[in-house]
Amino acid sequence: MTLKIAIVGCGKIADGHVDEVQKLGTETARIVGVCDREKLMAEQLAERFGITSVYDDFAKLLATEKPDVVHITTPPESHLALARMAVEGGAHVFVEKPLTLDYASSKELVDTVERAKKKLTIGYNFYFDQPTLEIDEMMAKGQIGDVVHVESFYGYNLAGPFGQALLGDSNHWVHQLPGKLFHNVIDHPFSQIIRFLGDDDPEVHAFGHLQRDKRLGDSRDDLMDELRLVIRGRKTTAYVTFSAHIRPVAHFMRVYGTKNTLHVDYDARTLAFDPSPTLPSAIGRVVPAFTQAIRYAREGIKNTKRFAKSDFQFFAGLTELLRRFYGAIENDGPPPIPYRDILRIGKMMSTAFDQLGQHKPAGKTAATGADGAPAGEEVVS
Amino acid sequence: MKQLVTGSNGFLGAAFVDRLIQRGEKGIVCLVRPGSDRSKLDAVLAKHKGADVRITSGSLGSIASAKALIEGVDVIHHLAATVGAPPADMFLGTVVATKNLVEAIIAQKAPPKLVLISSFGVYGVADLPKGTVVDESTPLEHRPIERDVYSHTKLRQEELVYRYHAKHKFPLVTLRPGVIYGPNGGAMSSRVGIKFPGMFLYLGGKNVLPLSYVDNCAEAICVAAKNAKFDGDVYNVHDDDLITCDEFLARYRREVEPLRVLPLPYKALQLVSKGVLAYHKASKGQLPALFTPYKSATTWKGNTFSNAKLHSIGWKPIVSTEEGIARTFEALRQRFKKAS
Repeated sequence: MTLKIAIVGCGKIADGHVDEVQKLGTETARIVGVCDREKLMAEQLAERFGITSVYDDFAKLLATEKPDVVHITTPPESHLALARMAVEGGAHVFVEKPLTLDYASSKELVDTVERAKKKLTIGYNFYFDQPTLEIDEMMAKGQIGDVVHVESFYGYNLAGPFGQALLGDSNHWVHQLPGKLFHNVIDHPFSQIIRFLGDDDPEVHAFGHLQRDKRLGDSRDDLMDELRLVIRGRKTTAYVTFSAHIRPVAHFMRVYGTKNTLHVDYDARTLAFDPSPTLPSAIGRVVPAFTQAIRYAREGIKNTKRFAKSDFQFFAGLTELLRRFYGAIENDGPPPIPYRDILRIGKMMSTAFDQLGQHKPAGKTAATGADGAPAGEEVVS
Repeated sequence: MKQLVTGSNGFLGAAFVDRLIQRGEKGIVCLVRPGSDRSKLDAVLAKHKGADVRITSGSLGSIASAKALIEGVDVIHHLAATVGAPPADMFLGTVVATKNLVEAIIAQKAPPKLVLISSFGVYGVADLPKGTVVDESTPLEHRPIERDVYSHTKLRQEELVYRYHAKHKFPLVTLRPGVIYGPNGGAMSSRVGIKFPGMFLYLGGKNVLPLSYVDNCAEAICVAAKNAKFDGDVYNVHDDDLITCDEFLARYRREVEPLRVLPLPYKALQLVSKGVLAYHKASKGQLPALFTPYKSATTWKGNTFSNAKLHSIGWKPIVSTEEGIARTFEALRQRFKKAS
């Protein structure tokens, strides 16, 4: 059966969803309609991806198209209300991260979906990315042993398209999030480390600061851009580093186990155990570099083979997540990402943002000031 | 007279404000987005102490904000567009922003004049024979999705404005510039070729480059704002003494940097384009379709150009191509020297 898919919210992240849904083929899923409050945005998405039905009214889309699945790709403040409408309209929901603005809303969203006996998943692309799947295999084979500690590093480029969009607009929705920039990003490292934390409610300590110079003269100047998290579970601890200034802009994780320590580069999609000297003396210090070179050469060959098979796509993790989510709907199986993980991440995020004290929403910049003159106007000469 | 300039801190925008001031225009209001880089505009304003210019900070993100910005404005020079961003952002910053502006215009009792800065990118030249003269009667692009996001957004922007114009008849003139260049601009138009690390893929050959020196383009906007009919008339903007890509590249290599050049003739490019597109499709987009036969035909098949209509309303270039290139290449040479 071909699943009927609808998209609500036609900003830039919707491109990735539509692209990956269409890659699955029309025998699996077909996009029956796209919706945005600004109809021009829905039209541009539909035009670029060959979708015929366009809406600016979500209720009308639900009533007309009766989708099996709705992908909610709007800013997070609307996720809960839209998810409620979608499940009441009989659809399962794929919600882009972050799930909602806070833990209580996330819990309410999950409960709403469960009550309606529908399924939910969230855009944790790295949860089923190729390196993550390989880590799962290694864990199953016992190659890492018990995980004692995990480190996740997430680099961010404020000069990139997302960074520019939010720094260029003081009314950008990211400024209204309780955790601001971090709120829109740290789902990713959390979704990578969550599989190693058994606890329902691990202890979280958050430290954030502003590294860049203040130059914009409004609330954007208060946007923190460096974050460190220390997480303590009963058996496993974790560090999460988010940095907008460390170069290169890297994305990696280190898993410290009782048998091996693994370094995972999510950009290059390589995995390598740290070498341990097996030979004595100076020779034991010379050999590991070659061992590492061989390990990385093997990773290069593995990735080249994947590339040759067109299996080295940017959004490979999203494709796999979609495949599993749609499969769970078809077969009435469990959702691919357990709700427990989604809620544990939501709780850790809320705890971290509470500690950072970024809850105060940024003031909106009005086009006109109190006296009716355009805000920020100045006589230059 | 109060005139609003959107996109005033861009490459063309700053040059246009400079030109307005030099022509003795008054009541200039420069719209900038909060927190955007104003360095180009600041440099212009620093040259003209005492000019009747104000900067206003705001956005065209909503009809309400657009209405507030055009309050009491007589002429709007709409240069703002979002480029070099993801497609949805380009569409939002170009088409949706323009819709908000036009909605604000038609809500006025006496709608201000709109001078819309469009682009050569709206012309559909791929299916025309090589050498066809591109003028204002050339058909518009009918396959923008197959071309590029920039053309798509500029085409939809124009179409939207003309839909509103047909219904509400507000005063409108559109200018479609070719390749705008100048000392503060980019180094090389893709019409000449594409720079890869360590190599320049040369695609332009003997094709004529529709160059428009930034000050000449700014002058064209000033002239159109004064002399156009404002009945929705359209003017192509490029300079008089156009040169070929061959001439441009040879001089660039002499005066700016000694590029390592790999020439790819048009017929070979078409073959490569077919291969690239086939791979893109077969691999489900693992690599972007940098070249497709359609894109290549649009950009590198080769056209000639006419600016006769622009001349008919009194425009004359204020900088020759010889002088424009000399100034541009000198600036690029300094930039290249600094970088290396």
